[in-house]
Amino acid sequence: MRKPDLSTRIAVTGAGIICSIGRNKAEVWSSIAESRAGIAKMTAFPGETFPTELAAEALAELAGELPIGKREAKRLSRTDLLAVIAAKEALEQANGAPTDRAIVSTGTSTGGLLEGEQYYFGRLTRGRRREPASPVLQQPTSAPSDAVARVFNLGGGVLSNATACASAGAAIGMAADLLRSGHADVALAGGSDALCRLTYSGFNVLQAVDPEPCSPFGATRKGITLGEGAGYLVLERWDDAVARGATILAELCGFGASCDAHHPTAPIEDGRGAEAAMRGALGEAGLETVDYVNAHGTGTLLNDSAETKAIISAVGTGVPVSSSKSFFGHTLGASGAIEAVVTVLALQHQVAPPTLRLGTAADDCTLDYIPHTPRPMAMANVLSNTFGFGGSNVSLAFRRVL
Amino acid sequence: MSRIPITGIGVIAPGAIGVEAFRAQLAAGQTAIAGIDRFDTTGLSAHKAALVTDFRPKEFIAPMKMRRMNVLSRLGVAAAKLAIDDCGGTLDHATGVAVGTAFGPVQTSVEYMQEYVAKGAALAPPQLFAESVANAPGSHIAIEWGLRGFNITITQRESSVLAAAMFASAQLLKQNVRAALIGGVEEANEMLFSVLDRIGALAHANGTADEAARPFDRRRNGLVLGEAGAMLVAGAGARKPYGYLSGFGMARDTTASISDWGTDHEAVATAMRAAIEDAELSLADVDAIYASANGSVRGDALEQRAIESLFVQVPPVVATKGIFGEYAAGGGLQLAAALIALEEQTLHASPGFEEGELPVTRETRGAQLRHVLVNTLSAGGGVVCAIVSREAA
Repeated sequence: MRKPDLSTRIAVTGAGIICSIGRNKAEVWSSIAESRAGIAKMTAFPGETFPTELAAEALAELAGELPIGKREAKRLSRTDLLAVIAAKEALEQANGAPTDRAIVSTGTSTGGLLEGEQYYFGRLTRGRRREPASPVLQQPTSAPSDAVARVFNLGGGVLSNATACASAGAAIGMAADLLRSGHADVALAGGSDALCRLTYSGFNVLQAVDPEPCSPFGATRKGITLGEGAGYLVLERWDDAVARGATILAELCGFGASCDAHHPTAPIEDGRGAEAAMRGALGEAGLETVDYVNAHGTGTLLNDSAETKAIISAVGTGVPVSSSKSFFGHTLGASGAIEAVVTVLALQHQVAPPTLRLGTAADDCTLDYIPHTPRPMAMANVLSNTFGFGGSNVSLAFRRVL
Repeated sequence: MSRIPITGIGVIAPGAIGVEAFRAQLAAGQTAIAGIDRFDTTGLSAHKAALVTDFRPKEFIAPMKMRRMNVLSRLGVAAAKLAIDDCGGTLDHATGVAVGTAFGPVQTSVEYMQEYVAKGAALAPPQLFAESVANAPGSHIAIEWGLRGFNITITQRESSVLAAAMFASAQLLKQNVRAALIGGVEEANEMLFSVLDRIGALAHANGTADEAARPFDRRRNGLVLGEAGAMLVAGAGARKPYGYLSGFGMARDTTASISDWGTDHEAVATAMRAAIEDAELSLADVDAIYASANGSVRGDALEQRAIESLFVQVPPVVATKGIFGEYAAGGGLQLAAALIALEEQTLHASPGFEEGELPVTRETRGAQLRHVLVNTLSAGGGVVCAIVSREAA
């Protein structure tokens, strides 16, 4: 069995994104540059009452962004559609990559659960024999990968990762391993998740949602703001990308994964699991420290405290850190991909995104969190963290291309 | 060349708790498919499934912990305990966990939505929400044994466990962990059963045949839903290995819709060939195929054409899903059966098969097995294949 060859460099040759602050990279970066968040009163599920009312919805009219007709789009879930839009942008940027042999590796926490809920409500009123079952075929968490592969005719293989909020980070790391072992030649790796009732209600009953827009690392933080969206990266072996004359956006140089083995929903307080994931990514990248950390930074009391400790242990106290979730909320299974795209953009622009609404940092959050406004700074190597329920932690290391 | 030893197998299967019972079930070629009394099938076309009926989770899990687990988590933790006991060793904290599940916590989501409707969005039980994520079983396994290596969950339908094994093997080869627990969990429930029935995917009685799983058989008309938990210990353990993971291959059939099999047998053959090449073998080295076949008309036909196109001399084919149904442990039982075949030097029977073109085993018999090809074809077009080998090199 071929071992992933860590001397094989992985090039990022395409990136795509859709979330509450933009339908593509240009719009997302413009929002970040202007410190403009995409959090507002939720429009989904009108008439239903929740303890909180804010969300970071991808409010763009999706139909205009899709490369498929209405009839085909009707067969896909909202999570699938968001995935297709982000994948389209990534593949277009990687123009010329041999995508017929590309694998799709997607992380998603809920897949088409939104459509599953609609099917459930329909069954309650019409019964299981009368309610059409076809919409629920979109529900499995394998559907986004399958949908993207089908829309873009990708024949290398499909993989779906459902490791809660660490899903997309793991999907990207897995894709890199498959490129390094020669099991794949090109990878479209990312994640997608749409808002649904179960997650919106569920995080509320866990009392993990901030009634105000989330304020990661802040003294008054009360929890997350739920968001939705998708992100994808096109990954290729460096030499292959160079040989075909591709524009390389960044290098994916490390992948670390770990588990807290502590609690089904809460992170371990000392952050040792997150630290292990970061050390794993640093080790693969041959790094001892980095210039910037794009944090998981959810805005919950436990995460931000534990992640701060983990960052200090892994890379020290002098590394600037920020949470992009302050712009587009917590996009759950997609967050690792959306934030990886933002991290690649930060490297390209040499500008670190800020943490919005950070009035006073909490006593247990003692790092430089780049408050309020973007910070132009030299960044050669950076980390992007993503952690999930069950204590699953993933960290990805990216390197600037000169 | 690198191969990953499998030293422990833990199984909570329909009709078999533990590897010895599973071994006996395979040897007997006895189907575990039976009528359903867990939920009402009135008005549906199908009425049978392969259900785990004699699993007593309190024999494996402390009551306080068990209360926090859904059925999938209980299946996963119990199977992991059996696998660790079977391997004759202990796992240290540098152990990863890779779990596959085709559909994950559908039943938990249904129960959450029932509470949501009954009590409102603010009063649904948080415990149900915590278990509504697909990676809850993997999380509980890690917590139970303090396993701090990677912890991932793959949901690629029929290919879930082989894809999880492929990920875990990469981490073991990179020496990120010293050992891994690899396996799958699946729960049969009314929602999944009725949807599969509604779209015509399930085997059903018709004028000429009873309701049964008939992989590769001419009379097949659908799959039978199964459930199980199965975990394997990889890379550590004192027991002589059952066998070794020695190669993986993947591809996608671009003619497939997102919920059905396609028609491009070359894509399936590509994945099989890739697994054989990854194991540094030739076609002639494959002594048997543990097939993906589940009794579906399209899926089995696709796999059959792929096997016939790839092999000049088709090796014996074993179709295990007539025993425990489809999706059982996310594909974990099929992989476990192939490893047991290698250890016992036995080819298992394929209940449900009577008449067809491939050389499908009709009864359990001895055989010289060096390498076995394990196929998984997902509805949606994904294909993951693996080679399991008897020897370390």
